[in-house]
Amino acid sequence: MRLYLALILLLPLFGGTINLLVGRKLPRRVVEALACGVIWGSFAASVTALAAFRSPVKVEFASWLSDFDFRAPISLFLDPLSLSLILMITFVCGLIHLYSVAYMAEEAGYVRYFALLNLFVFAMLTLVLAENLPLLYLGWEGVGFCSYALIGFWYTEKKNADAGRKAFIVTRIGDTAFGIAIVWLFQLFSTESIVELNGMGFLMPAGVLTALGMLFLVGAMGKSAQVPLMVWLPDAMAGPTPVSALIHAATMVTAGVYLLARMLPLIGTPVVLAAIAATGALTAFFAATCALAQRDLKRLLAYSTISQIGYMILGVGAGAVSAATFHLLTHAFFKALLFLGAGCVITALHHEQDIFKMGGLRKSLPRTFWPLLAGALCLAGIPLTGGFFSKDAVLGTVWEHGGAFYGGLYALGLVTAFLTSVYTFRMMYLVFGGEDSNHPPPHPLPLTGGGEGEGEHAGTTPAPPLPVQGGGRKAVPRLMEYILFPLALLALCGGLLDLPSYLGGGLLDRFMTLKAAHAEGTAAEMLLQGLAGAVSLAGLAVAHWRYGGERRQARLAEAGTPSVLTRFLLHGWYVDDLYRLLFVRPFERLAGFFWQRVDVGIIDAGLDRLAALLGLSGERLGSWTTGRVSVYLLSFAAGLALVLVYMVWLLAG
Amino acid sequence: MIVPLVHVLVLAVILFVLGLACVLVWRTNVIMMLIGIEIMLNAVMLAFVGGAGVWHEASGQVFALMLMALTSAEVSLALALVVYLHRRKNTVNADEFSEMKG
Repeated sequence: MRLYLALILLLPLFGGTINLLVGRKLPRRVVEALACGVIWGSFAASVTALAAFRSPVKVEFASWLSDFDFRAPISLFLDPLSLSLILMITFVCGLIHLYSVAYMAEEAGYVRYFALLNLFVFAMLTLVLAENLPLLYLGWEGVGFCSYALIGFWYTEKKNADAGRKAFIVTRIGDTAFGIAIVWLFQLFSTESIVELNGMGFLMPAGVLTALGMLFLVGAMGKSAQVPLMVWLPDAMAGPTPVSALIHAATMVTAGVYLLARMLPLIGTPVVLAAIAATGALTAFFAATCALAQRDLKRLLAYSTISQIGYMILGVGAGAVSAATFHLLTHAFFKALLFLGAGCVITALHHEQDIFKMGGLRKSLPRTFWPLLAGALCLAGIPLTGGFFSKDAVLGTVWEHGGAFYGGLYALGLVTAFLTSVYTFRMMYLVFGGEDSNHPPPHPLPLTGGGEGEGEHAGTTPAPPLPVQGGGRKAVPRLMEYILFPLALLALCGGLLDLPSYLGGGLLDRFMTLKAAHAEGTAAEMLLQGLAGAVSLAGLAVAHWRYGGERRQARLAEAGTPSVLTRFLLHGWYVDDLYRLLFVRPFERLAGFFWQRVDVGIIDAGLDRLAALLGLSGERLGSWTTGRVSVYLLSFAAGLALVLVYMVWLLAG
Repeated sequence: MIVPLVHVLVLAVILFVLGLACVLVWRTNVIMMLIGIEIMLNAVMLAFVGGAGVWHEASGQVFALMLMALTSAEVSLALALVVYLHRRKNTVNADEFSEMKG
């Protein structure tokens, strides 16, 4: 187990380091093979670890931080939660790496790209496997850094670099809370080991635990893009599409869910659970409404990610770690699928991302269409797909809690499920439906209102402003499309991982053994699932009624003059503008005050005055040196006289 | 010694003040300033010699002799400078040479 764990972590680190140091000297194929090979090697090690797994195991490799009582060794912890995550991460990341080979084929900076990609995976695996909080924090920050570097990968364009900075800064707000929690935990318990901490919760009063839980929640909000720190994720679309898939599906945004799931035994007081659940439900609803009006394909998917992560957080808040993990896994598959499929579409359309300018791709891109349809079915939660079971598992546990509060959250979740279905099929109808000929909207709108970084524009492959015509399709590399099939299969069959109890019970649930059997009877469970299925089908029906067939044209025609509500949703509830008003403006004012008044007005002006004073006095004093000998002699004599007078005075005294 | 030390010192002071006044007042002529310096030096020598007479010490007289040698060297150098200055500006007025002004 020691060897497997070491391999899982060290292989991506090795690949990333080699590529960083000597990648430029290596042939392109070697760099790509190395980057992909280490991830698949890591996956193989994960599989062997799964085969060898008997019970949760803790392995200590070396001492890292050690001072007085403080111990933070490099020790890893493998339990069902982390094992299922590393399997998913290495597998999905392996596919994304392969996809990147084709996607970045024309990119000059491929060495930096692949090195960062490997480091990203390494940081995420460290985060998942870490046994103590400082090591987890190392991975946490590593993920943050790599995401910053990859979102701003095409940094020559200001908006891409801005998007990277925004992601970094916004997540940093959450990280600060998390950092405070880590330090505080050591002060309270004198240990940083997650396993030990989880068993020591009873030592502290509930108030302290609640405060700790809130700090962890804020940390998770930043990383997992939950309300109110969700603004960075839609802008994070500025990076290359595989990076979006990586951030959204396998790494980064799931870190917050993982952290909460990991620390739940410690922080799981009722207040914290309620706060977590409310955050998740609100985020899910908020993002789903925003996704309804988006025009940028990747931005739409980004909002859907925020919404789905909201479901996971809701699941954690309901105390159902296995349900949340289940949704995390299926989401990883279908979201990676959706993003990679979107990458194919965008490549085929010469980096066109406005879904209102697409259409008819059903016929011209069949190998992209079918897997993407599978992903959409999962995302919408159409019955019997993976997404249906996992989303229902989350909603089911929320329902089990009972009470007005959780009942309300359940209703919100159900509404969100409906919205999810609507926006998913709206996207499908707009992108793939209709005829292949082009229907430009009468008044081309800016894709987003925020003006912040969105979309992607390859630095080395500038998108030609071609009209998206039937004949203007660019061939999508076969490799990119083949990657979609295993993901589609996994997404569709992901439900088998954790079937509801009336269908034989859940594999994952038994594997996790973190949750007691369903308290509700089978009938209630079936009823809930039937309800969820009906809701998602209703969403599909609404989408069909709005966008199906001929009505698609009408919607396209309307797009030129969006209603107030559409604008509101398109701009993400104007949250960006609100934050600009609430935080950025005052900060700029304050910075302006310190710059203009304090720095320029007081410090600089003070120094200038002092310098002027010294210069003036120097001039005055300098005028004493007339250069005339007689003056010197006279002053010499005067000085002498003074000395004499003084001496006489001394003698007389 | 017949003459009391006080008389010698008073004479030396008078000589010194005269030399100083000469230097301070006569600045239109560098040569006159040099003469003033010489007078002051003589006053100092007189004080030395007087002291040597009172305390029967040879070193005061030796010092006076040394001062004479020093003075002659100084005067030769100073006069050479005066000649040089006169050549440059065709004047011996000390105030004309104020290039070292700050």
